[in-house]
Amino acid sequence: MSLSPAAQLMSPPVPWLRELKADERGLCLIHLLLNCANHVAAGQLEHANAFLENISLLAAPDGDTMQRIATHFTEALARRVLRSWPGLYRALHPPTVPRLPPDALLARRHFFDLCPFVRLAFLVSNQAILEAMEGERVVHVVDLGGAASDAAQWAALLQALRVRPEGPPHLRLTVVHEHKEFLDLTATRLTEEAERLDVPFQFHPIVARLDNLDVEMLRIKTGEAVAISSVLQLHTLLAADDLAAVGGHQRKTAPPLAKNPSTTQLHRIVQMNHQGTLGEMLEKDHANGHSPSQDSASSSSLALTPSPKTECFLASLWGLSPKVMVVTEQESNHNGPKLTERFMEALNFYAALFDCLESTAPRMSVERARIEKMLFGEEIKNIIACEGGERRERHEKLEKWVQRLELAGFLRVPLSYLAMLQARRLLQSYGCEGYKVREEDGCFFFCWQDRPLFSVSAWGFRRF
Amino acid sequence: MASASSTEPFFGIREEDHRNQMKQQQPASMPTSSSAAAPQTAAPVKKKRNLPGNPNPDAEVIALSPKALLATNRFICEVCNKGFQREQNLQLHRRGHNLPWKLRQKSTKEVRRRVYVCPETTCVHHDPSRALGDLTGIKKHFCRKHGEKKWKCDKCSKKYAVQSDWKAHSKTCGTREYRCDCGTLFSRRDSFITHRAFCDALAQESARIPTGLSTIGSHLYGNSSMALGLSQVNSQITSSLQVQSHQSSNNILRLGGGSGSGSHFEHLISSSNPSPFRPPQPLPSSAFFLGGASNQDFNEETQSHHSLLQNKPFHGLMQLPDLQSRATASSSTAAAANLFNLGFFSNSSSTSSISTSNITSNQNNHLLISDPFSSGNGSTESTTLFSGNFMSDHMAAGMSPLLNTSMRNESSLPQMSATALLQKAAQMGSTTSGGSSLLQGFSSASPSGSRSTSFQAIFNGGSNGSGDALRFQMENETRLQDLMNSLANGNAGLFGGSGGVAAFAGSCTTGGHEQQAGGIGGFNSGLCNMDEAKFQHNISPGNLGGSDGLTRDFLGVGNMVRSMGGGLSQRGRHHGIDISSMDHEMKSATSSQSFDGGTLQ
Repeated sequence: MSLSPAAQLMSPPVPWLRELKADERGLCLIHLLLNCANHVAAGQLEHANAFLENISLLAAPDGDTMQRIATHFTEALARRVLRSWPGLYRALHPPTVPRLPPDALLARRHFFDLCPFVRLAFLVSNQAILEAMEGERVVHVVDLGGAASDAAQWAALLQALRVRPEGPPHLRLTVVHEHKEFLDLTATRLTEEAERLDVPFQFHPIVARLDNLDVEMLRIKTGEAVAISSVLQLHTLLAADDLAAVGGHQRKTAPPLAKNPSTTQLHRIVQMNHQGTLGEMLEKDHANGHSPSQDSASSSSLALTPSPKTECFLASLWGLSPKVMVVTEQESNHNGPKLTERFMEALNFYAALFDCLESTAPRMSVERARIEKMLFGEEIKNIIACEGGERRERHEKLEKWVQRLELAGFLRVPLSYLAMLQARRLLQSYGCEGYKVREEDGCFFFCWQDRPLFSVSAWGFRRF
Repeated sequence: MASASSTEPFFGIREEDHRNQMKQQQPASMPTSSSAAAPQTAAPVKKKRNLPGNPNPDAEVIALSPKALLATNRFICEVCNKGFQREQNLQLHRRGHNLPWKLRQKSTKEVRRRVYVCPETTCVHHDPSRALGDLTGIKKHFCRKHGEKKWKCDKCSKKYAVQSDWKAHSKTCGTREYRCDCGTLFSRRDSFITHRAFCDALAQESARIPTGLSTIGSHLYGNSSMALGLSQVNSQITSSLQVQSHQSSNNILRLGGGSGSGSHFEHLISSSNPSPFRPPQPLPSSAFFLGGASNQDFNEETQSHHSLLQNKPFHGLMQLPDLQSRATASSSTAAAANLFNLGFFSNSSSTSSISTSNITSNQNNHLLISDPFSSGNGSTESTTLFSGNFMSDHMAAGMSPLLNTSMRNESSLPQMSATALLQKAAQMGSTTSGGSSLLQGFSSASPSGSRSTSFQAIFNGGSNGSGDALRFQMENETRLQDLMNSLANGNAGLFGGSGGVAAFAGSCTTGGHEQQAGGIGGFNSGLCNMDEAKFQHNISPGNLGGSDGLTRDFLGVGNMVRSMGGGLSQRGRHHGIDISSMDHEMKSATSSQSFDGGTLQ
């Protein structure tokens, strides 16, 4: 098939593409994006290319919401296409040692400031921890993954503990994060805060990624009341399972838990790159082999894909007998095996998030652009372009997490009315009516309009 | 300071628990306030109660067991087993039973003061130097601090260990009003304090975030809440597409074949109640409207139809020039255009009155009405009249509401949110693709296989029925062809921006020539066919199986055609209809264009 028709294509559509109204353009973009994703999934790169060309005429990183969304999704799609030529891809994106881009941290900070979701998660998590720790003298809080890279949650907890009626407990805080500089920063800040508040405080940094974490490293002592908090982190565990599942028969050695993160990290990356392309190839075959009718019977069942490593890790967390574990996760299924499914889900999910920003920040806002690019954009890229162990943004809905956590032995602890009250008040103070908190079976959903975007659930070692 | 603000509520809410002796034990740097006023704002001590836990050094120290402390009624009446907390009360009670009783007299001699320590070893009041001065005090302390909080306020879920605390709280909970500087009223103090914390935070934050955004947000909210309704409908559609497409095929069958009753038709036009046609209606636009309206009551729907009427002149303004310019371009279609136009207007006006013959009559009547026309002006006109009606029916039922809603949207907010757009798109996609994913219908890489979808098949059935019925009315094949052709054109034009009707068009073609329908059907399955045709043909010229050249030709002629119109007009050629196929193309092109304009405004 020659590319010439695609080239011809460029001339006629330009005039009318340009003069579309915003809504028409939005619909057109959705249409183009979906088609493009379909072609990418089917491996028809010429078609995908033609679509990408057209989208590029309409998309704009600083335009309206749909244009912005399209920008990031096309980038993700393009990246995915590029990955089918690993040589090209690596030349353009050489594997670097993962470091903490300051922009990403800033983006998270802006997201925290502009949208209430993270703040809500912190608030509700802290309230659950506080309630579970009532009367405890020695409290050990484990933060899996740096609380979405923000020390604010723990500063808040310190203050809350200080004023609790029975007096502040001795607080030990263990933070797991893959970047040492972040941990150092957090340590300084929290130690200062604790000193100021006169709360006995100990800080344990653990430089590791969640999928590398051995619970032994948490150094839980007998007699302390353990609380575990995970804000938007648990889903990264699922990548390890996929890695094992896809590459299990390919790899000769699979060190399950790296004892020395720093040296194994590079090793892992190389492996993951390899696995990524492999997984992609597999998926491509998969997509090609499917007839449309089979395709329509999409695998949207509730059945849990086996995830031995995740289960194992959750079970070991349970083994710490925490009084409470609070889990915040994205309420969307971005872990489908098919690209098209993920694309669709992600498009809906991030459209809502982009809408949040549209309602909160002006279009030219630098902060907004940074959130969209460094936070959402990166996540979208990860969801769409990556495969295998590299695909870490494997958001799954609460229903799946409920199954997993119950399998691991946890029991659901309903979040308190007080937590809801506080969440509502927080939202009220935002003054934007689009945000909502919904309660379902003792779990909270943070919604934009009626679409739940994040879920918070609390889990206990035993029923309270 | 964000972190600080998020903790404030804890501080504030916990504070109420603080009104006990424990609090007074705090070091002097944390002074106590006798009232429960907001501690953050309260000035340091106004008045000092004598600090508990500072007993007279020569007082007798009494340590009671936890059991004794928790025992509520230690003094039991032997007659009725009623328990009393104090002996004096029991004595008074005994008096009622005519039992001997004796009130202790206040002794004149100096009794040794007693102080009580808390049995909890970790408690500060365990130390005799911090003992509490009265028995009730130590009891309450023990309950509050070390006992179970079993009294729960129904209103705010706050728990108390001491019943009297709970009672006191219950009396005031929800009665007092607190007003924040921002004007918000609160019935409960804890809510108020929580709010205050964040309200202050907001004040700080608003310095950074530009103002006026909240209003935009509310606009957005207003818009997408409507879209939310849609999503429900949409999910219904997507989840049970099989059923719905079946339904819609029935409807089409009735519509086309004229077997449908007048009342059914009325539903279509008037939309006065959730007609059977509506839920399965594959029009994205109508579905879009439906989503908003289906959850509302009848009144609102009629209202929106009224506003549709108000918008009618606008339609006219938009469409008349187009149609007339076309009239000059091809005289043969001029009448059709006018008729079509008339049909449109008459029907849209009938939306309000629901009394014209078009509505009360069924499909057969339509055809009968069209007969005089056809006898006078020729077959093309009769068919176009029909198509006009057909289209306008849809207009009234589906398209105009879209216009209406979208216009409303435009008046209130700059544009739809991305969420709303996606929902709208999903609506469109659901008509053609089936399944939960929008994408699945778009595997346009292999349109040859697209007939495999049940949707298409059902449409085939439906259109076959309509074909038969039409044949019954029509005298010759040509007329049928014309009718269908115009139908197709009308549909294509009508659905220039929507995939759903493309299926209609497809069904029309399949009625006549199923051979081509396969290809076209697949072709039709586009979501937003503004450019589908172009992409299809340009990117994969071989895919449409022989129609490629025609399409190109068509593109050359029509140039502005963005929709199925092109694809469908090919069908006209395949059928061998020679009524200036070029004109047909032109017609379809222009009409689709004009309708594009109309639908997507």
